[in-house]
Amino acid sequence: MAPTVCSGLDRVEAEAQGRDLRGPCPAPSRPDPQLGPASPFAPAGLINGPCATRAQSGSAAAQLAWALPRSRLSALLTVGPPPMEEEQTYLELYLDQCAAQDDLTPPGSPLLSPVVPNDGYIPNTSNSETVFNSHLQEVKGASGHFSSVDLSFLPDELTQESKDQSVIRSKQDIEENCKTQSQQSRLSLPREQDMGLGLISDSTLSKSHSQAYPGDADSVQPSPEKPNSTPLMSITPMTPVTPVSECSGIVPQLQNIVSTVNLACKLDLKKIALHAKNAEYNPKRFAAVIMRIREPRTTALIFSSGKMVCTGAKSEEQSRLAARKYARVVQKLGFPARFLDFKIQNMVGSCDVRFPIRLEGLVLTHQQFSSYEPELFPGLIYRMVKPRIVLLIFVSGKVVLTGAKERSEIYEAFENIYPILKGFKKA
Amino acid sequence: MPGGGHCPDCGSTELVEDSHYSQSQLVCSDCGCVVTEGVLTTTFSDEGNLREVTYSRSTGENDQVSRSQQRGLRRVRDLCRVLQLPSTFEDTAVAYYQQAYRHSGIRAARLQKKEVLVGCCVLITCRQHNWPLTMGTVCALLYADLDVFSGTYMQIVKLLGLDVPSLCLADLVKTYCSSFRLFQASPSVPAKYVEDKEKMLSRTLQLVELADETWLVTGRHPLPVITAATFLAWQSLQPSHRLTCSLARFCKLANVDLPYPASSRLQELLSVLLRMAERLAWLQVLKLDKRSVVKHIGDLLQHRHTLVRKAFRDGTAEMEAGEKELRGRCQGPEQGKEEVASSSLNLPEGKRPASPTPLLPPCMLKPPKRICPPPPVSTVTGDENISDSEIEQYLRTPQEIKDFEKAQAARQAARSVSNPP
Repeated sequence: MAPTVCSGLDRVEAEAQGRDLRGPCPAPSRPDPQLGPASPFAPAGLINGPCATRAQSGSAAAQLAWALPRSRLSALLTVGPPPMEEEQTYLELYLDQCAAQDDLTPPGSPLLSPVVPNDGYIPNTSNSETVFNSHLQEVKGASGHFSSVDLSFLPDELTQESKDQSVIRSKQDIEENCKTQSQQSRLSLPREQDMGLGLISDSTLSKSHSQAYPGDADSVQPSPEKPNSTPLMSITPMTPVTPVSECSGIVPQLQNIVSTVNLACKLDLKKIALHAKNAEYNPKRFAAVIMRIREPRTTALIFSSGKMVCTGAKSEEQSRLAARKYARVVQKLGFPARFLDFKIQNMVGSCDVRFPIRLEGLVLTHQQFSSYEPELFPGLIYRMVKPRIVLLIFVSGKVVLTGAKERSEIYEAFENIYPILKGFKKA
Repeated sequence: MPGGGHCPDCGSTELVEDSHYSQSQLVCSDCGCVVTEGVLTTTFSDEGNLREVTYSRSTGENDQVSRSQQRGLRRVRDLCRVLQLPSTFEDTAVAYYQQAYRHSGIRAARLQKKEVLVGCCVLITCRQHNWPLTMGTVCALLYADLDVFSGTYMQIVKLLGLDVPSLCLADLVKTYCSSFRLFQASPSVPAKYVEDKEKMLSRTLQLVELADETWLVTGRHPLPVITAATFLAWQSLQPSHRLTCSLARFCKLANVDLPYPASSRLQELLSVLLRMAERLAWLQVLKLDKRSVVKHIGDLLQHRHTLVRKAFRDGTAEMEAGEKELRGRCQGPEQGKEEVASSSLNLPEGKRPASPTPLLPPCMLKPPKRICPPPPVSTVTGDENISDSEIEQYLRTPQEIKDFEKAQAARQAARSVSNPP
């Protein structure tokens, strides 16, 4: 019995690693519509419950993820394509870098100075990075020969040259992440370990980088409150971002993460409820086992089909760890549980702007986005289009942001709403 | 008909009764001449009941409309008539209902939802014409639950992509105040309690504006604020006789339901008035409390703009002043404080009422119920090793399983005993 369990565990771990390496699947595995942004009238739980929810398609965020790399790539197309053989020099350069770990600004690479100012917040690149990274693993195995890279996900109009550009640009993104010295990087660890690809020292690429970024200039923001972040003063952004005085200086705190995972085996819920101490199962009320663990403090709904929903975590990593623990519990109970398709479905954050807000004024000026019905709910429901986030704004200045699939969406949404709210500061 | 009549053209007696586009005609079968024609409008066949059928019944328009939709449209019209809305509102509401019915989600909805949809369409129409109709009224008329109503309302606004303006507070004040039965003496209303409608309306409006300015209305249901304002207006117009009357009694006299939050709104409004009274020169000497301030509401409302400015500081300015004060305290304990206080008050040294309170919504003035500590920085990577012992703490031992099963069986047995089959 023991050997099979061990191998099963190894398999789960490998799968957990493997799945994570590929990043969130851009494929249209449509999220359960119930797991969209929660009903506005149940802000406390903010997990979709059986209360009156409105099914919202979660695919818009996926659409955004696709839209962004395309727009970036079109910006890159204006720059001439660098030749193929430069990648070898990149590899050498990178190995030199790794030898001198602490060197933040090596000679001949002006690109290293405009590192992303925030350790955890990379403006909209995280989507494109995961997309690129999923295919870059094969690159590593195929000894850096780019023609074997499966870039079929890219739109048809892109030629071979642009494929190179896109791959090289993603390398530069990875290199930036490597250099931020962040322990709390939002990227998962295996991705960082695979930085076997070269650095870019080409000035044309740096130009393309700056061209690609102006659209995100307003979304780049420092987070001086993060304890592990590199201090803002040491990083000088090359691209013209909004001056520090315009940034809010407030960072929304994540309050809840909802994620799903597929255990890929049929489960006997009665057996689970009998053998597990932390499980409750009432088939007449709800057709799933409700299991709770203490560390991280989360709750999981485990269905007989093998699908599982994990809620209550305060960060993406905690949600993943919790989901793995639940999978381990199910495994220990004798089921051949695996850990497939872990995906974060919803993230909820909150913050306080510390001044009162005239909600009646806000609904007048932003009528197409806002819904304020004091007879029904004391807060104003603001549906932001880009990024697709729902904000609950209250008169006390507290703001709740929900509906995000990525942490960066929450930060970007708050930076978008802060100037609007400041406009309504005075009576 | 065979008996009687010949054709005027050919003279044959073969006349046939035929109908041409549902108009009955008497036609000669030989030459085709039309002898007589029926009436174009349909009538009830019985001659004693010769009257026209309405257009909507004679055309086939209702044949294509499902019965439940017809029922819904009838309910919309009935609701508009009950609320005595203008006829244009009725047409708009009917159009919205038809528009909603085109969506499959609405067609397949439960009857309860379709019933509530009727109220939603009427409410949207009223809002767009600035007719002050509250959701509470509509729900009461439809015997509907506010939760169901709110869900359907939000859904239909999104589905139809409608722009629904906010409830107009001034109009709501007028209609709500007019519903108070205090403008004529009656057996239940003593003479001293009767009040002039215009005076009460204008004073209530001023009080509601004051509440709006001082953050008592934002985020709250509008009706309790108006109830409290009406009560204060009524009391202040003849305080000597009316101070003894409580809010609950007032609503009972006026034949109006007392909304639950109205008493707390009343207290908030009174505290605002007290703060303003502290700034009025001839009221400072009187030590006013929440009951005696009612007598001076007239004066306070007359000078309300300046008083609000003087009594309250903008929230952020107050916080900055407070910070400066703290810094001043560190350096020179007395000077900073005096400077702040005297510059803002412009009063002689002898009298120094409390420094201006910040103009903030009540939820920001109350101390926080519990202070949320910032979450500890976690260095979880998501890929750590999970120890077996940690997982095993969640699993039952075989002995525990047996005990649990025994306990469950015993509970089942007890249940079946208590409910004999």
